[in-house]
Amino acid sequence: MIRILKLYGTLIGFALIIVLFSVLLPGTFLTSGNLINISQQISMLAVVAFTMTIVMVMNDFDLSVGSMASLAGVTAAVLFSLGYPVYVGVAAALLVGLLGGVFNGVLVSLVGILPFVATLGTLTMFSGLAFLVSGGRTIFGRDIPSEFSGFARSGVPLDSVGLDGLKLPFLSLVALVVLAVVWFVLEQTTYGRRLYAIGGNKEAARLAGVRVKSLRLSAFALTGLGAAIAGLMYSSRVASANPTQGSGLMLDAIAAVFLGMTMSEEGEPRVQHTLVGVLILGVLDNGLTQLAVDSYIREIMVGAIVITAVAFSSITKQGR
Amino acid sequence: MFVAGTIARTFTALVLFTGVAMAQNVTVVTPYLAQPGTQMYVEGFQAEAADKGWNVNVIDTAGDVAAVISRIEDAVTQKVDAIVINVDPAQIAAGLETAAAASIPVIGMDSGADPLVATNVTSNGYAMAAETAVYVANRIEGKGRVVMFVFDAFPPVQIRGVIADAVFGNFPDIEVIDRITPDVQDGGIADSRAKMEAILAANPEPGSISAVWAAWDQPALGSLQAIEDAGRADEGIVIVGIDANPQARDAIAAGGNFEASIAQDFIGIGKATANAVSRAISGEEIREKVIYVPTVLVTKSNVDK
Amino acid sequence: MHELSIRNLSKSFAGSPALADVSLDLRGGEIHALMGENGAGKSTLIRILAGVETADALELEKDGRRLPLANAKNAYDAGFRFIHQELNIVPQLSAAENILLGLPYPSRFGIAVNWKELNTRARNALSRLGIDHIEPARQAARFNTGDQMLIKIASCLVDAEGMTADLYVFDEPTAALTGEESEKLFRVIAGLKESGAAVLYVSHRINEVMRLCDRVTVLRDGRNALTAPISRTGKEEIIIAMTGRSVEDMYPPRSRAIGAAVAYAASGVSTKEVSGLEFELRAGEILGVAGLANAGQSGVLRTVMGLSEPRQGRLECLSGAAPKSPSEAWKSGIAYIPRERRGEGLMLQMPVRDNAVLPHLDTLRRLAFLADRRGEQAMAHKTSEYVRLKAAGLSQPAYQLSGGNQQKVLFARALGKTPSILVLDEPTRGVDIGAKYDIYALVRELSEAGCAVVMTSTDLSETLGMCDRVLLMRDGAQQAIVDAAGLTPADLLRRIYAS
Repeated sequence: MIRILKLYGTLIGFALIIVLFSVLLPGTFLTSGNLINISQQISMLAVVAFTMTIVMVMNDFDLSVGSMASLAGVTAAVLFSLGYPVYVGVAAALLVGLLGGVFNGVLVSLVGILPFVATLGTLTMFSGLAFLVSGGRTIFGRDIPSEFSGFARSGVPLDSVGLDGLKLPFLSLVALVVLAVVWFVLEQTTYGRRLYAIGGNKEAARLAGVRVKSLRLSAFALTGLGAAIAGLMYSSRVASANPTQGSGLMLDAIAAVFLGMTMSEEGEPRVQHTLVGVLILGVLDNGLTQLAVDSYIREIMVGAIVITAVAFSSITKQGR
Repeated sequence: MFVAGTIARTFTALVLFTGVAMAQNVTVVTPYLAQPGTQMYVEGFQAEAADKGWNVNVIDTAGDVAAVISRIEDAVTQKVDAIVINVDPAQIAAGLETAAAASIPVIGMDSGADPLVATNVTSNGYAMAAETAVYVANRIEGKGRVVMFVFDAFPPVQIRGVIADAVFGNFPDIEVIDRITPDVQDGGIADSRAKMEAILAANPEPGSISAVWAAWDQPALGSLQAIEDAGRADEGIVIVGIDANPQARDAIAAGGNFEASIAQDFIGIGKATANAVSRAISGEEIREKVIYVPTVLVTKSNVDK
Repeated sequence: MHELSIRNLSKSFAGSPALADVSLDLRGGEIHALMGENGAGKSTLIRILAGVETADALELEKDGRRLPLANAKNAYDAGFRFIHQELNIVPQLSAAENILLGLPYPSRFGIAVNWKELNTRARNALSRLGIDHIEPARQAARFNTGDQMLIKIASCLVDAEGMTADLYVFDEPTAALTGEESEKLFRVIAGLKESGAAVLYVSHRINEVMRLCDRVTVLRDGRNALTAPISRTGKEEIIIAMTGRSVEDMYPPRSRAIGAAVAYAASGVSTKEVSGLEFELRAGEILGVAGLANAGQSGVLRTVMGLSEPRQGRLECLSGAAPKSPSEAWKSGIAYIPRERRGEGLMLQMPVRDNAVLPHLDTLRRLAFLADRRGEQAMAHKTSEYVRLKAAGLSQPAYQLSGGNQQKVLFARALGKTPSILVLDEPTRGVDIGAKYDIYALVRELSEAGCAVVMTSTDLSETLGMCDRVLLMRDGAQQAIVDAAGLTPADLLRRIYAS
C-alpha cells in the first residue's frame, strides 16, 4: 500500500485534480477543445522541462534556460526585422541556443564550476545579450513574418478523428516530438544510459570508463537547444519577441521535473514523468482560471502542490 | 489541507456563478497587476462593475505574455461576456482571434490599438510626453543639456520617448546628452539612481546638466536622489516625470528639483473601460478605436489637489 | 565491574527472521568479539542495542536490573557508545569541535565559545585514550582516516556531566584503516578494557579478533553459532562456525606457471602521486602493491588506469599504447575495482544490471547508438552468475546489497569483457568471509586464464596468499619488488618498515 502511494501518489493527485475540475466545471473543462487548449498552453514549458530533464538526470541544473529562451526569440525576431527569411532566423536562434548550451557545458564540465553558479552567471549574461540584441525593445507587428506567427496558430485538422473543427496545434506537436526525442535519447541510447550513470555517481562513472566531461558538456548543449526551441515557440505564439519573455519558464520547468521525480522508485528524473509534472502545472492553471480563483491564490496553491508532492514522496521513501 | 482549500474556494466560486447566473461575467487579464497604475485601473473598473452587478475575474500572469493568451483561451472556454486586456494586443493575437471566433468582445484598458480590440481606453501618451517635454524646454529657456530616461520595450512608454525626442530636437540649443534605459526589475528607482550617479560623475561641472526628462516617475525619483546625494541640488537641474504617483507628488510638493509630472486618471480609465465594456456587451459597434481620458500637469501649485 | 546480559533477542523483518533467540553476555573489563558473515544478524543486533531498531523480544539486564531500550536516548543513558565503520566526522570543524559535537560548547558569558576550554576538554578526552599526537585545534579534514577514527572514539568518551559509558561497540573499526593505524586503535581499545568498560568488537578480520579479544560470539543465520573464550578457540573453529563449512585453505593455490608475455610495463615513471615506478607485469601474474598508510599504493593502480599522467618515464601496454584515461583503459582491456566501493565504484540507486554493464555499453549497442537492453541483461546475467552474486534480481538497486555482494557487482562489471589486466584496490575490504573466498577463487581463476592482476590490500596475509610478487612503496616512491613465495606476513611487514 505504502509502496503504491509512494510511486503513484503524484499520479493519483493528478487524477484527483482532473476529477475535481471535471465535476466543478461541467461542460467546459473535460472537453476536447479545452484539452487541446491546455496542450498548447503548456507546450513551451513542456519543451523546456523535457530538455531540462536531460541535465537533471546527471544531478545538474540549468538556470539559464529562461534567458536563453528570450535570447533565442529576440535573435530570430531581429533577423526577421532585418529582412532575413524565416528559416534563417529560426536556424540562427537554434544555433544560439546550442552555443549557449555548449558554453554552459564548458563552464560546468571543463572549468568545473558548480552548475548552479555557472548557469546563474549565464542567466544574467544571456539576459543582457537579449537586451543588447533587441535594443531593449519588444519586436512585433510587421517585423514578425506572418508565416512565423502563423505557425503557432495553425495545426493538424482533427476532423478525420471525429473532432470536427478542431486542430492539433503545431506547438503541441512540437512538444510531442521533443518528448519523443528526449525519451528516445535518455531511455533507448547508450548515451542516455551513461547520463543516468553520471547522475548515479559521477566519480564511479568516470572510473568505469564513462567520458563524464564530454557527456556533461553535450547534455548542457541539448538543454540550451531545447530552451531555444521553446523561445521560438513563445515568440511565434505571441507574434513578438521581447528580452524578458522567457524568464518565467525556468522555475516552472524545474518544478515540473521535481514533480516527476517523485514518481520514480529511486527518485531519478524520467522524461515521461516530467510530462506529468508539466501537465499538473498546466491543468491547474487552466482549471483554476476557469474557476475564477484569484491569481495570487493560484500561485500559492501551485507552490504548495509542488512542496506537498515532494514532501510526500520523501517521507514515504524515508522508511526504507 | 490544500485540497480542502481548493474545494472551499471553488465552491465559493460555484455559488457565485450559479447564485447570480443572470449577471454578466467579465474577465480582466494583465501581466502587470503588480504595478501601481494597473492596480488603479482595475480598482476603477471594479468599482464601476460592482454598480453594474457584473462578476469580475482579475487574472495576473506575473509578466508572462504567453500566459495571457492561455488565460484568454480559458475565459473563452468559460464563455464569459467580455474580456478586458492590459497588454500589447500585437503580442496576444492568437488569444484575440480565439475570442473573436467566439464573438466575445475584447476591450483594451491602456493596452494599444488593434483591429481585434473593440476599443482601447487610455491616456493620450503623445500629449503627456509633449506637455512635460515642453515644460522642460520652457523652464531651461530653450537651451541646455538634457538627460532622458526611456523604456522602448513597452510601447505606451516608447511613444513618450519619441515625442520628447521630437520636442527637444526642435530646440537647436538643447542637447540630449544621454538616453538611458534603466533596468526595471527593481522597480526602476535604484537602477536609475545608479545610472544618474554615473552621469553626474561624468559631468562634474555645475550647470553641465540642465534637466532630466523621465518617461515615468521612478527614474525621475532615482535621479532626484542621485542629485541630492551628490550635493548638486542647488544647480537648478529640472526634473520631470510622468504618471504623478504618490512618491512623485511628495517630491514635487517638497519643492526640490522634481518640478512636474503628469497625472493620468487611472481610476477614470478603469471606469471608462467599464463603460466601453457595457457598450460592447450591449452589441454596440464602438466607432472610436481609442478613447482618451484627460490628464493633468501636476506642479507645486496644484499638487495638493 | 558491569555485566550486561542479552537474552532471547528476536527480530524479524517482513516475516523473515533476522535474529532468533540470540543471547550474549558482556562483562566489564572484557573485549567480546561478535563475528558472522554479512546477513548473519550482526548489524541488526547493533542497531537494536543502539535503540534505532526495536526488538520483537528482548530481555536486557544490566547488573541484574532490567533496562528499557526503546530509543536512542535509552541506549545513551544506559551508557552504550557506538563507533561505526562509516565515519561521521564533520571535516570542516576542528578535532576538538568534533569531539564535543552534540554537547553544549563551553562558553564565556554564555555567548562566545570558549575555545581554550574547548580544546582543553578535547585534549583531556584524547589523553584518556593515551593519544597525544592529535592537535585539537586542527581541522578534522587534515587528519588521516585512522586519526579521524580516534577523534570519533574520543567524542564517545566525552560525556555530559555525571554520565559514564559502560559499553563500547566497535563496528568494523579497522575496515578503513591501515595496519599502523589499526595498531593505535588496538592500544586504545585495550585501554578502555583496562578502565573497566565492556567492549563489543565487531569484525570480519579473524586475525585481529584472535589478537585483541577475550571471548567471541559467532552468529550464523541470526542464531548463536558459537560463544567461547578466544584462548581455547582456534581460527578454524571460528571459520567453521561462521560459514558452516570447513575451509581447507583460504587462498587457492596457483596451479600453472606465469606466462612470458608482458602485459604492462613501467620504466622510470613519475606522476603527481608516485615516483620511480619500474616494473613489468606479466600475463597471468598477480602483483601486489604494499606499504604503510598512504605510501602510494593506490597511486600505482591509478597510474595503470590512466588516472594519473606520467611526468616522466614510459608506460607500455601489451594491447597498444598505455591508456591516458579510464575510458581508454577499459577500451584496451584494463578493468578496475576502485578502493571506495560506494564513493568510486557503484551507482548505489541504480540496478545491479546497469552497474555491471556500464563500461561495456559500446560493445553492446546496436546501430552505433541504440542501447541493447537485451544484450545488457544477458551480459549482466552471465557475469553476475559467474561471480556468484546473491541478489533478488538484476533490477535490484545496488544499495540494497550487502558489502560482499556489492563488491561482486564490481567484479561482474570487470568481467563484462574478459580483461587482460585487472586492477584491484582493496578488493576484499568490508567483505564477509564467504564472499572473500569467492573473490579469491575468482581472481585466481582469472589469472590462471592469463589475466594480469595488480592489487593492493592492507591485509598482508591476503597479499602474500594471492600475489606472486609484491611491489613495496614508501612515501610515494617504489622501493623494491620481492617474491611472495616463502614470506610470512611478519617478514613482509619487516620489509615494509625496512624498505
